[in-house]
Amino acid sequence: MNVANGEISREIGDVNLAYMLLAQKLVKQDRVAAMFRLGISSELADMLAGMSLAQILKLAASNFLLCSFRLNEHASMSAVVGEGKDTTLQQAHMAILMSARTLQMQKNTVPA
Amino acid sequence: MTRKTVLGEVREVQLAIELIGLGARLQFLEAEVGLSRERLIRLYKEIKGVSPPKGLLPFSTDWYMTWLANIHSSMFYNIYQFMKIHSDEEKVWILIKSYKLYLQQIAAQDSEPILDFTRAYTMVRFFDSDMLQLSTCSRCAGQFVAHAHDHKSGYVCVLCRPPSRAGKARGAKRGAVAGIAGDGMVFGVEPALEGGLH
Ligand SMILES: [Zn+2]
Repeated sequence: MNVANGEISREIGDVNLAYMLLAQKLVKQDRVAAMFRLGISSELADMLAGMSLAQILKLAASNFLLCSFRLNEHASMSAVVGEGKDTTLQQAHMAILMSARTLQMQKNTVPA
Repeated sequence: MTRKTVLGEVREVQLAIELIGLGARLQFLEAEVGLSRERLIRLYKEIKGVSPPKGLLPFSTDWYMTWLANIHSSMFYNIYQFMKIHSDEEKVWILIKSYKLYLQQIAAQDSEPILDFTRAYTMVRFFDSDMLQLSTCSRCAGQFVAHAHDHKSGYVCVLCRPPSRAGKARGAKRGAVAGIAGDGMVFGVEPALEGGLH
């Protein structure tokens, strides 16, 4: 059991590292486009861009996944996945929902 | 509008090159770029190898309501809106950037762009002049391009409630991924889904 748990932790760490490195690459390439793709605020984007590899490694070595589901509503998720939709339509639907979600997230964090 | 500094002119030429590359019409170029018509035509010929086509900008909002066009328009406008809020660049550059992101999205989906640059530009104008709006689908919570002042409650998007012909054609071609783009072309010319959307 302990061995399996260790392996899971390592896998989570791998995903975290891959995710953080990709996120940093995207932010450095094009800040706003990266904010759109990742669904993150400008403050977070700037922070990511400025992080050293050591800092990223330290953060990645965690027992928790740092990236989370962005379609975090059952209704949206099943609307995209369900009904044997063909791949192109499914991806188009996903793209539209993702954009709306990131905007909603941003709206919620802005005080009225 | 024309900036008389050398740097300003370089920027205008860059903008023109970018816009011509994306397929902008001459009318659009004249409205957005501070260069003379003659220079714009010369640039166009140099880049494209042909004279700019004549023809008016599209002026009807109905096109954006047809099935596949609505999907693509919604993809683009969601990107554009995000860019508008979070980018501090000039509006025309935001448009260029959003359109490129739309093209990337389409390429990643292995399909063909349905929304050309002129249509994208015209759509932004329609939104600005309050003729189009984004309506939130009551099933998937996605935001889709709709006529302004449409009823907002109970709206169901074109992806959650595809037209019946879409279902039939898809059934016939199930599994044939290559056929999707072709199907789309057929649906693209369908009239607006009046009544079916609200
Ligand atoms: Zn929907």
